[in-house]
Amino acid sequence: MVPDRSGVSCMIKLDGITKIYSRGFLRQQKTVAVNNVTLSIKRGETLGLVGESGSGKSTLGRIALRLIEPTNGTIRFEGTDLTGLSGKELRKFRPRMQILFQDPDTALDPRMTVRQCVEEPLAIWDRTGPEETESRILDLLEQVGLTPDLIDRYPFEISGGQKQRVALARVLTLNPGFIVADEPTAALDLSVQAQVLSLIKSIQKRTNLTLLFISHDLQVIGQMSDRVAVMHKGSIVEQGATQDVLNNPQDPYTRQLVAAAREGEAWLGKTRDTGAVH
Amino acid sequence: MSRKVLLWIGIAVLCIYIGIALAAPLIAPQGPIAITGKPLQPPDSQHPFGTNEVGQDILAQLVFGARITLLYGFCSALLAVTISTSIGIVLGYYGGIVDEIACRVIDVVMPIPMFVLLIVLTTFFSPGIVQVSLLMGLMGSIYGIRIMRAQVLSVARTSFVEGARAIGASDVRIMSRHILPNVMPLVMVKFVSSSQQLLLMGVGLSFIGIWDTTTVDWGTMIQNAYSQGGLALGLWWWILPPGLAVIGVSLALAMIGYSFEDKFNPRVEVNRI
Amino acid sequence: MELIRIAGLKVIFSTRSGEIRAVDMVDLSINDGDSFCLIGESGCGKTVMGMAVMGLLPKNAGITGTIRYRGQDLVAAPEHNMQQIRGREIALISQNSANALNPVMRVGDQIAESLLIHQLCPADKAWEQTVQLLGTLGFEDPTQGASWYPHEFSGGMRERILIALALICNPRIVIADEPTSGLDAQVKTQILRLMKDRVVNGRTLLLITHDLGAAAFLSTRLAVMYAGEILETGPTKEVLARPLHPYTQGLLASLPSAGLHPIPGLSPSPAHFPAGCRFSDRCPAVQDRCRGNHPVMIAAHGSRQVRCLLYD
Repeated sequence: MVPDRSGVSCMIKLDGITKIYSRGFLRQQKTVAVNNVTLSIKRGETLGLVGESGSGKSTLGRIALRLIEPTNGTIRFEGTDLTGLSGKELRKFRPRMQILFQDPDTALDPRMTVRQCVEEPLAIWDRTGPEETESRILDLLEQVGLTPDLIDRYPFEISGGQKQRVALARVLTLNPGFIVADEPTAALDLSVQAQVLSLIKSIQKRTNLTLLFISHDLQVIGQMSDRVAVMHKGSIVEQGATQDVLNNPQDPYTRQLVAAAREGEAWLGKTRDTGAVH
Repeated sequence: MSRKVLLWIGIAVLCIYIGIALAAPLIAPQGPIAITGKPLQPPDSQHPFGTNEVGQDILAQLVFGARITLLYGFCSALLAVTISTSIGIVLGYYGGIVDEIACRVIDVVMPIPMFVLLIVLTTFFSPGIVQVSLLMGLMGSIYGIRIMRAQVLSVARTSFVEGARAIGASDVRIMSRHILPNVMPLVMVKFVSSSQQLLLMGVGLSFIGIWDTTTVDWGTMIQNAYSQGGLALGLWWWILPPGLAVIGVSLALAMIGYSFEDKFNPRVEVNRI
Repeated sequence: MELIRIAGLKVIFSTRSGEIRAVDMVDLSINDGDSFCLIGESGCGKTVMGMAVMGLLPKNAGITGTIRYRGQDLVAAPEHNMQQIRGREIALISQNSANALNPVMRVGDQIAESLLIHQLCPADKAWEQTVQLLGTLGFEDPTQGASWYPHEFSGGMRERILIALALICNPRIVIADEPTSGLDAQVKTQILRLMKDRVVNGRTLLLITHDLGAAAFLSTRLAVMYAGEILETGPTKEVLARPLHPYTQGLLASLPSAGLHPIPGLSPSPAHFPAGCRFSDRCPAVQDRCRGNHPVMIAAHGSRQVRCLLYD
């Protein structure tokens, strides 16, 4: 089984990660998606990874779970080097590290009910009997704020926000220590986004979850992350504590991003009576 | 006509065909080869479709022949679809060098007309119906692999398949529990269209006498009627029943296949002989 | 001067699972030169409103009420009249830039097509005008750009093409449906600035979006839509600074910059709306009478209106 590393404080460490895609005849065309990225995330911490589309942030997120193979570099998860492991050995780590996807419409198998979606991780890892499984599923649905009557629905019968909650429940079944959230709320409405993100935050507080939060929205990153890494054309151009990076950006690209975010905030005006109704 | 209506007509007609084939001994207890009347008789109360050149009842031949014709049509289609789905899923999911080589091989084989190839192969040894059905199934699968693989490619790249890998599902589990159910609509359509195509092909092969000509199926019936002068003598009761029977089942399958098309949207190529 | 007056508009879709009340008794008035924003989340009916004005609703949509434009009722107008109006007087910037463009037609041809349909200029001049327009919309080499195909452009450039499609016949009214969805923050700012410059100036804009930032930047008047109804209207700055309806307040509080405070619950399904106020089961200030009585729009503070029993 996977060794107990709960004492290790560095959850995930990426060292010199590079990913080059070769396409075309005889693999001549090369695209550098990720360029020599080094970063680490401590247990219980949220690292925000921000960048525009095409910056390589989604690729990096998947490499952190070794869902995509890096061309170069190492991935250390709770001290273990994942890069050299065989397929079978790597599978054993899967329950500890999970991913949340951006598009709720394709994140769930359209032919599986909510119950089957949440049940599958338990079925694979064969942990509990049928009665325990049922109560575990209901418990998880409650944790993510879904009512039990949805348990036999299909994805097309529920809303985007509900689908993301089901995806979250599925991912939490195995009690992961590390979750990569790849723009989990980009496709959701404003109020639904707030619901899902506050849910993620509360679960994180309760279980000391480590989070790699990927987004193009600097304002969301600002609310969700302890530290921020800014990615531009495959490289990390700036890293640091969230408040430092947002208030005092050093890199020119980061400055552009922060300026755009500030402008967006300014349009909405500083004076807002968001308190209780009189 | 609405697709739903077509679907029900097609299914109803098919059920009638299957029902008749199953009930053959009840409809014509004497069997297909018993000589029960004078040769070349037009339809009468004893022989609703008349008799052939040796006095065998044509109706009896028709209903017993249905069993064989339907059997080789559906069985070879089942084999073809099973093979093409399995290989298509494996190629589409794993990709890589094996996939590329396999596709090139298929590219080479595909332009060869199946019918001609079957005739050529069978001149080297005289196979029975079972062997020919197997061959039809094998060859029919080649065309299907491309189509299944294309559909699998689009499913295999979705987030939920990636998510299944992320929760630690094995490749076998992903292919059987996630990919296969999501390509099932295509599998069903392919089965129906393959049945139609291979059934017609089987009738054609039987017509040219590829297997034992004493077997009674619709192809040999038509061949018989043709070569024994039924056409020349205008003996419509001999040629029309098997001919119309073949057309009827083909149309029924076509209607079912057509009504399935709107369930999803791949660009399916229909293979014609 | 009032340009569009929507009165008592209802759009009901008849489907196999029953009636869907997408738009339920909406009254709106848009003045000449206004920059009006209809804001709401998915499923509230705002896109259906835009389609209703353009007369582009599907056959199973039952429309009652009137949409008066320059003396004509667009709801009752024959298709021939609508074809004259679409593109020429009221133009649409569609929602999904990936689907809205024909993938096998050159971009320039698609834009010029509008000119030719409305016979605004001879065929040989249409291409010139198209290239000229693209030049003003941020295309560095408009002649080259016009001869490319949609897939050769990035998301931001495709949005500019959609804007060009809308502006080419110089319409009076432009309806923009989610012009910034799917765009990165920086590209979004560029597109919004472009729209302010070229679409808002000298024209009337009806902006349909869920993006509060876009609404704040582009519009002068705002209407908040929820479950097929308008809940609140007023000048944009005022509504955003001092929101009256609890839903509007909730929306503003759920902004990332405001702390991501969620509104609990889900919007009601359009197949079964609750009897009283449609926001009542999510409202922090709900009272007993809210569940039984369906509130009507009442005037509040100046030109503002709100649909809430709290202000009764």
